[in-house]
Amino acid sequence: MKRTMTLNLTEAEMSVLERLCEGKGLSKTALVRQALRLYKSVDERLERGEKVFVESADKAEKIELMVL
Amino acid sequence: MKQAIGTIPLFGLGSGKFHDAVLFRGIDLATLQSIEASWTPMFDAAAAENRPEDAHWEWAAKALQALQNPLNYELFGIEADGETQGMMLVVKGGAKCFSRHPEHPRMPLVYVDFLATAPWNRRGLIETPTYKGVGRVLFMSAVSLSIEEEFAGRVALHSLPGAEAFYRGRLSMTDMGADKDYQNLRYFELSTTQAKQLISAGP
Repeated sequence: MKRTMTLNLTEAEMSVLERLCEGKGLSKTALVRQALRLYKSVDERLERGEKVFVESADKAEKIELMVL
Repeated sequence: MKQAIGTIPLFGLGSGKFHDAVLFRGIDLATLQSIEASWTPMFDAAAAENRPEDAHWEWAAKALQALQNPLNYELFGIEADGETQGMMLVVKGGAKCFSRHPEHPRMPLVYVDFLATAPWNRRGLIETPTYKGVGRVLFMSAVSLSIEEEFAGRVALHSLPGAEAFYRGRLSMTDMGADKDYQNLRYFELSTTQAKQLISAGP
C-alpha cells in the first residue's frame, strides 16, 4: 500500500530536485524514494560502526562522510 | 511474505516441452526449507572440482537481510514441480545502484546481488538439466523491476567466473572488466539500450 504526503520545499530545494529529476530521468517520487534508500543504506553502515569515505578522482583526497 | 507475480513457461530439457512455473516476489519459510532440503544435499554431494562457486551461499541469511530492509532489497523466486527452481536477491537503492556505463554514468539502476538456479538445472552438475531458462527469467524480473522503479531497464551485477559467458553472451551485457574493489569479480551492466534490445528479442 502506498501513502501520499505533501512536501514543502524552498525554491532552491525544488530547483535542485527538478534538476536531479531531469538528469536522472526520474519522477519526483522516484527520486525521493532513491534518496531515502541511499540515506538509509549509509546510515545503517554508520550505525554498524562502519565508515563511509568519499575519494577524489585523483585519489589525493579522502573524506569521511558523517551523517547527522 | 511471498506473492505470486505470474505464470511463466520453462523449457523442460528432458520432456522437450514447456512447463508452467510460478514467479514469486518475496520469500517464505517453505521456500527456504525447499532450498535447504533439495539444493544443499546436491551441492554437498558434488565432487570438489564440480562444486558450483555459489554452493556456499546461505539463502536464509539473504532472506533475512531482505526482510529486514524492504526499502532496498527484493527477492524473486521461481517454483515448479513443488520445488524452488531459482532465486534472486536484488538491491534497488544505495551505493551499488549507480551506473558506471558510459551510456549513462551515475544513473540509477537495479543491482543483482545474488542469482542462482537449482542444482538440477545446471549442466555442470547434471547431464540433462531439468529446466532451461531459469536464470534468464529471473534476470528479466530484475529488468522489469528496473522499469517499474523508473530506471529504464538498467541492471548491474558482479559475476562469478563461471557465469561470465552467460551474462556477456546470452544477455548481451557490457563487460566492464574486473573490479579490484569487489573480489576482482568482473562487473557487468545492462544499459538502457541493451535492455530495450533484450526485451525486443523476447524470451
